[in-house]
Amino acid sequence: MQTDLLISLPFIFFLSIVVGLILYLVGGIFGAKGEKTEGKVAPYACGENLPARKLQVDVERFLIYAVYFLVFDILAFILATSLNTPGHFPAIYALIVLMAVVILLPFLRRG
Amino acid sequence: MVPEGVVALLEILLFPGFLFLIALAFFYEWVDRKLLAKLQNRYGPLYTGPSGLLQPFADFIKLLSKEDITPKAADKFMFSCAPLFLLSFPLLALFLVPVAGLKALISFEGDLIFLMFLFTLIAVTVFIAGWSSVSRFSTVGGVRAAFQMLGYEIPMTLVMVGPAIAARTLSISQIVGWQTHNAAWFIWFQPIGFAIFVLCLLAELEFIPFDIPEAATEIVAGWSTEYSGRKLALIRLGKDVELVLAASLITSLFLGGPNSSLPILAIGFFLLKTTLAVVLLTTLRALFARFRIDQMIAGAWKYVIPLAILQMVLIQLGFGR
Repeated sequence: MQTDLLISLPFIFFLSIVVGLILYLVGGIFGAKGEKTEGKVAPYACGENLPARKLQVDVERFLIYAVYFLVFDILAFILATSLNTPGHFPAIYALIVLMAVVILLPFLRRG
Repeated sequence: MVPEGVVALLEILLFPGFLFLIALAFFYEWVDRKLLAKLQNRYGPLYTGPSGLLQPFADFIKLLSKEDITPKAADKFMFSCAPLFLLSFPLLALFLVPVAGLKALISFEGDLIFLMFLFTLIAVTVFIAGWSSVSRFSTVGGVRAAFQMLGYEIPMTLVMVGPAIAARTLSISQIVGWQTHNAAWFIWFQPIGFAIFVLCLLAELEFIPFDIPEAATEIVAGWSTEYSGRKLALIRLGKDVELVLAASLITSLFLGGPNSSLPILAIGFFLLKTTLAVVLLTTLRALFARFRIDQMIAGAWKYVIPLAILQMVLIQLGFGR
């Protein structure tokens, strides 16, 4: 019973976090402690004068790939979990995916 | 008799648990660096320990003892959490892979899916690490990591499912068991799948044809630009553990895994095969030059995914088992 608890996924996850935390704290104890100057805590900028601000991510160019990603990720998941189901269920879903791919194809050309 | 709980705890903490995995991570970093240096006509690690064997460990200690700087503009909480998760996710994933013997420490039906989920989570954490640094190099690196994931995630999932379908199970331990029982390795049945898997692992590990998120000549150090000291040490160690994870996954899904139930033989086979896998990954890394991000994504969708689907169709037609 206790052994089951020890070798369980949440407990191992907890332990791996603890291992990371121990290393982190050891680094905190032995790490060098310098004074925090203004230049040190500024973002790295290759010597240029670049203020720190959040950049907007331009997803437009890759949006179509993200849509494809969603479609195919579900296809892969369905194929993965269709080990013991009859062959026509995954085949039907694959056909639906094929239709989605054909519909999305013009957008891929444009992008 | 030693109580069962103590044995389990020793297994988790020492062998084949954390201590062994972290030692192996340092060892494979050494193999990787030494071989890469030889291929590039350099010496590589030389002075620390025999042939520089202890150099990765020394580097780790050095980074731990350096000053840990958090940029003023950074999102402090996420910035500190990301390195922790980048180490613990691959460590956790390695417990699902059989190391000494045919059964992994944690094994359940569907752990292959859980492992894919962990791989995605690592990529997402990389994006968060870059985004929370609030520096343009880090942000660009993190966004590239996320876009790169759009390219390699699907083919990797498809080819990882290949052995699962052939062995009719979604548990990595049972896939290894199937290969041992039938005395057959999936690399012979699914060579396309194996090639694609290695390619996708190169992308997951950010190794050279796909080191786009940390391209040193373009964006300084990519998503890890702002990291230093102990946080960088954890990230580096996490990368090494990820290399062990990649090599052991190649081993268990395609090379038959530690195909012996005797612990000593099993660990011998495991070490031999994972070293071969690391050598393969390093050689490929030394051979190529970096792709651009749009070349990588377009190439993955135009060539790699159709090939992965072809492999899937071949398996369904009965050629893959």
